[in-house]
Amino acid sequence: MRSGVFHTSYEADMGLRTTPPERVRMALFAVAVLAFPFVASPYWLNLANQIAIATVGAIGLNILTGYAGQISLGQGAFMAVGAYSAGLLTLRVGLPWGVSIALACVITAAVGVFFGLPSLRLKGLYLAMATLAAQEIVEWILTHWTALTGGTEALVLPAPRLLDVRLNSDFGFYWVGAAAAAATAVFAANLFRTRAGRAFVAIRDQDIAASAMGVDVFRYKLMAFATSSFFVGLSGALLAYYRTIVTWERFTLDTSITYLAMIIVGGLGSISGSFFGAVFLTLLPVGIGMVGESLQDVMPGVAGVVPHAQQAAFGLVIILFLVFEPRGLAKIWANVKDYFSVWPFAYRT
Amino acid sequence: MSMRIGSGVARAAGLVALTGLAACGGGDSPGADEIRIGAIFDLTGPTADVGTHYADGLRGFVEWTNRQGGIAGRTLDLAFQDYGYDVGRAEQLYSQYAQRGVVAFMGWGTGDTEALRLRIVEDRIPFTSASLSHVLGDPEEAPYNFLTATTYSDQFFIVLDFIKERHEAAGLPGQPRVALLHNASPFGLSPWQQGGQAYAAQIGVDAEAYEMPRGATDFTAELTQVRQSGAQYVVFQNTSGPVALALRNARSLGLDVTFVCLNWCANELLIDLAPEAAESVMGSMPFAPLSEEVEGTRDIRAYLAGEGISLEETSNAFTQGWWTMAVMAEGIRRTLESGLELSGPNIKASLETLDEFDTGGVSVPITFTADDHRGSKGLRIYIVEDGAWRPVSEFRAVATDP
Repeated sequence: MRSGVFHTSYEADMGLRTTPPERVRMALFAVAVLAFPFVASPYWLNLANQIAIATVGAIGLNILTGYAGQISLGQGAFMAVGAYSAGLLTLRVGLPWGVSIALACVITAAVGVFFGLPSLRLKGLYLAMATLAAQEIVEWILTHWTALTGGTEALVLPAPRLLDVRLNSDFGFYWVGAAAAAATAVFAANLFRTRAGRAFVAIRDQDIAASAMGVDVFRYKLMAFATSSFFVGLSGALLAYYRTIVTWERFTLDTSITYLAMIIVGGLGSISGSFFGAVFLTLLPVGIGMVGESLQDVMPGVAGVVPHAQQAAFGLVIILFLVFEPRGLAKIWANVKDYFSVWPFAYRT
Repeated sequence: MSMRIGSGVARAAGLVALTGLAACGGGDSPGADEIRIGAIFDLTGPTADVGTHYADGLRGFVEWTNRQGGIAGRTLDLAFQDYGYDVGRAEQLYSQYAQRGVVAFMGWGTGDTEALRLRIVEDRIPFTSASLSHVLGDPEEAPYNFLTATTYSDQFFIVLDFIKERHEAAGLPGQPRVALLHNASPFGLSPWQQGGQAYAAQIGVDAEAYEMPRGATDFTAELTQVRQSGAQYVVFQNTSGPVALALRNARSLGLDVTFVCLNWCANELLIDLAPEAAESVMGSMPFAPLSEEVEGTRDIRAYLAGEGISLEETSNAFTQGWWTMAVMAEGIRRTLESGLELSGPNIKASLETLDEFDTGGVSVPITFTADDHRGSKGLRIYIVEDGAWRPVSEFRAVATDP
């Protein structure tokens, strides 16, 4: 049995997935992802697509909050910027959907940098308030700048097509969503092996020490805002093209809080955690709703309480995670892997 | 350490169990003697105050109809869940129910109705919601949406006409000055942006719009602005909860204006929440309150009596839910009676044959045509007197079609 992971070459040391079990798991996961749309019903595809979009957004937020330690309550706003930019670039400028999405990411990154400026002076709760302001300001602009955004009326986008195949069907979008989520995950996983990524983590852990070691704190904070917002914008733009209708009601403060919950439940500072969180928080209301619906006929009295229980369950889950496993589902997953890798022993040396 | 790992496994197992549970709620198809209809309600979100009564009314109609033997011998099977006014959740539920073979869908808010507008065309599922946004009544924009009640814009036009008439009848000088206080959402802005602003200018009413921030616990700032603007009339486009609060704020401020509620605050709930401040408030109600003993509320009263629910416990949102469902059911009945297959396009076509469909005096008769899905174009104005809504006008139609 292995007593640890030891690298004997620089190539091995640089690998993302180095051990055979890791590679097998990765391959199984890839096969499952590729096979899923052929066996799943449109409803489950629809959920999978929401999960893919949420994964991109959650990784984006995790880069900023989990890795760089800059708390953000402006997730909904940045997603809205991505969605509206993608939509307006197509509707007003006539750009094809792919170009619109790419530009939307860049625009969102720029907006993210702008709202990241207060992070020079603000930390923790104060920065949370500043990003909350971003949320409110963006929402206000989207609903009041009628000439640009159409005010409170929804933007209706043309269906994205690739070689005459409509990509916003549940099946078609699955490939776009899965590819985007995979690309985001690979980028983020590599980011934290670079100088910039290390600098983010150093700032999170102790900004003064980071600064003393020669990390340009302000520059890297802004870079964290830009990188994070880029992906958050991507998830907003993907959502816009999946649903082909953009309404700002989808990007409220509730969205920001749901995404924060996602990365807390999934695991702060973890790429796989972002995915677990996205899965968990997308399926939690679905699961509770189904329980409620199946109780409607059996116990009508209880069913009336279920919608309210759903709200409470959401909060309860977050509290339970904070109490029992602050490092989230990613840590639980790591524990499970450790358990099996050293079985039948309880722990390594 | 081993304890930690063991409990980690237990927790992971719990997660797997939860997802497994979710997986078993798959798609069962409706039986041959069933008519499946999907619905989403707001029972916990920001519009739950009126949403709950609307949901009760809609479900009440389904239960009542099934007890009377259903539609052409087939029972209505209403699949519904609370969606807490969350657009993403609405899309999930819609897609779940569409897969379970619903032939019609009952929605709720403006945001989710907008978001689903294209999906329902693709799936060809007729859709009625509680959102009365004007654009949803235009089949070119939204071919599968049907509006049973008067649109927000039409309601605002009627109220503006009414205000102008009263203003002139009272011999007051100058143009009437109106402030529209609206919910900070597409729902709130809908009457203003979809024709209201232009219509006010057209008929010579001085109108301004003010936003009521969501979740606010005090509207004194907004009302002070209204007072400074010199408005003589305040029109609310919001739900009962925030409006009751605003009315109480206005009374403490001593704001001396005429208040008019559009649709979602013109209900009994408003009186319950602000019994004194609501006195002499006017309201545009496309559906009569339950206290009115007309033909169209008879079944509702009988149903409520049977369920042991007093009229005071519910509101005219109940009537609105009941009759919205009843109109959709009429489309289904006509489809079945003409021997057609019960499909979305056939129900749509049947609904478009509704010509002056009588709701027993609850609303103006409802008419849908192939190029107009705004079912009713008139309503009555009510006023709160001694804690109850009483009509102050006969049914008034929209004067012009802007």
